[in-house]
Amino acid sequence: MSHIELIDIKKNYLGTEVVKGISVTIDQGEFAVIVGPSGCGKSTLLRMIAGLEDISSGELRIGGKVMNHVSPDQREIAMVFQSYALYPHMTVGENIGFALALKKVDKAEIKRRVMEAAQMLELEHLLERKPAALSGGQRQRVAIGRAIVKRPKVILFDEPLSNLDAKLRVQMRTELMRLHREFGSTVVYVTHDQVEAMTMAQKIIVLHNGYVSQLGKPMQLYREPENTFVAQFIGVPKMNLLRGKLQGSSFYLQSGQVIDIGNGFTSGNDLQLGIRPEHLKLHATSAQGGWTVDVVERLGVESFVHLHNATMEQLVVRVEGDCELAADTQVNLQFDAASCYLFNDKGQRLLRKPAIEQAAG
Amino acid sequence: MVAVVRSSSEDVTVTHHASQRRAYLTLVLISLFCMMPFFWVVLAAFDPKASQFLQIPQGVTLDHFKNIFANESGMRWVLNSVVIVGSATILTLIFAGFGGYALSRTQAWWKRPLLYGIILVRIVPPPALIVPVYKVMLFLNDWINGLINQFTADVEQQQMLSRMFSFIDGYLGLILIHCAMQLPLAIWIMKTFFDAIPKDYEEAAALDGASQWQTVRHVLIPLALPGFAAAGLFAFINAWGDFLMPLMFTSSPELQTLPLGMFRAFLRVDAIDYGFLTALAVIYTLPAVIAFAFARKFLTQTFSGGVKG
Repeated sequence: MSHIELIDIKKNYLGTEVVKGISVTIDQGEFAVIVGPSGCGKSTLLRMIAGLEDISSGELRIGGKVMNHVSPDQREIAMVFQSYALYPHMTVGENIGFALALKKVDKAEIKRRVMEAAQMLELEHLLERKPAALSGGQRQRVAIGRAIVKRPKVILFDEPLSNLDAKLRVQMRTELMRLHREFGSTVVYVTHDQVEAMTMAQKIIVLHNGYVSQLGKPMQLYREPENTFVAQFIGVPKMNLLRGKLQGSSFYLQSGQVIDIGNGFTSGNDLQLGIRPEHLKLHATSAQGGWTVDVVERLGVESFVHLHNATMEQLVVRVEGDCELAADTQVNLQFDAASCYLFNDKGQRLLRKPAIEQAAG
Repeated sequence: MVAVVRSSSEDVTVTHHASQRRAYLTLVLISLFCMMPFFWVVLAAFDPKASQFLQIPQGVTLDHFKNIFANESGMRWVLNSVVIVGSATILTLIFAGFGGYALSRTQAWWKRPLLYGIILVRIVPPPALIVPVYKVMLFLNDWINGLINQFTADVEQQQMLSRMFSFIDGYLGLILIHCAMQLPLAIWIMKTFFDAIPKDYEEAAALDGASQWQTVRHVLIPLALPGFAAAGLFAFINAWGDFLMPLMFTSSPELQTLPLGMFRAFLRVDAIDYGFLTALAVIYTLPAVIAFAFARKFLTQTFSGGVKG
């Protein structure tokens, strides 16, 4: 059993609280991604799981056993560092086999297991080389090899792809997913890149200022963000937010524009309307549409149109295919009422009342 | 128009060449002047009729070297120097390794003051240190000799132990003094070197299951080799060239080191044997050159590609 339980984990650095009470369970064999902006405490959290950092308070359990004061090598975990941290004076083979050599494993057995890991990562022809003679992607693979050769129950990744170029990153993403399927270890993966989180994770833990902002399956976070932070962090481009007030089903923007967001919300002031760029429809119009084009990002397969209104509120609209709108063109927007989110002034999401309740009320 | 431009550019090249030639000529002359004494030392050392003038030897002889080792206590001086300076260097490297590592990793408030305090030892001119150091050594010497006398009553054994462990006129004292003199620079070199070794390596080793000692042995020492080579080379060469400390802290001829032997041979009143002295100078120079050649291998050994970020 190798599920990981974090129970009210906190971390203080010289009086400053970096991790402010995190309780999460990661199931056995799960690929969990901890994601958040820099300084949110995600690396600290991972290092506490690894045992490289003391836990100020709370309890860490791996496979049901309390691990707070167990040394890193006794936790049956492996870690892939952001910097790879390959020993530069050892060959690739020695790097991968180092942990086994320390355990005084039989030489032939070490060789067999190093070879096995190398085959899995397509490193067989590089075993005699020193890290300096490898490319970034190969070093990354050696670092992973060093982790899996120990057959750990848990593998921790600390932003492992951030040093690779964009093309290699996409390739390594699929490779990591394949490895996880073949290996079945529990994976905790830290990244600031929400694309990595969305594509690889079975469970995403969004950290913000030392707290868990929300956790769940990728599409759950995308569809049901609990607050404006998650709403804007997950999804590219980020969700549009507009301030205003709600009366019935009409949302009044500060510019006076009215948007129909459907029934079910309770009226109120100081609210934020959230809508994703893909849920907006654009109508070029000769009449005054209320929205003016700033910039159009044309990517070929899709285009992102940046707009503003009279009170300089900004919006991004995703348009399928190419879009040849010139700057300063006046356009009309159609909001998909069912895809509108409502947040209060503190950024918490407000829910629609279920239809039955609506009918009764 | 074109012709004018060309001729002026040729002029520039010509003057350029001429000034370069003048510069080289001056440099060659200066280097010759600087290297003259070395030529003389090396030539005279093998010259059967060595004199105080630079001359092309009539033949080649090893008599001067034989003389040093056969008739004088040359072998003794060399061995004394090698043992004392060698042990001091090893001791310096051990202390500098631990100290440099600790000073590199600690974040304590006293880190900076301590580092500057250490280098202060280096700034004080050694002769100014002699009196206080002698006082301390004298005190320790009384203590150790008391111990030796308690340990054995046999006078011969007492003498032997005293020569080994005495703080004044003993190997241990001289080794410790050399070590203390070389430590500040060595600690600084090692501290700076460890600063450049990311903590990731140690953390990776910890996760690989390495104990503290295994991390030091398999990860830190190999990574710090160039630093050890640099610190060791400086310590060895400085201690090897030190004349003052052996002069102050040894008196018996059995403990005489190479520079002292040379100095006393030079002071002999009867006649100055230039062949003998230059041969001794050659012997004195060799270990430093060998040490440099040995350390160079490690000095140029750079480790890269282990981390990226």
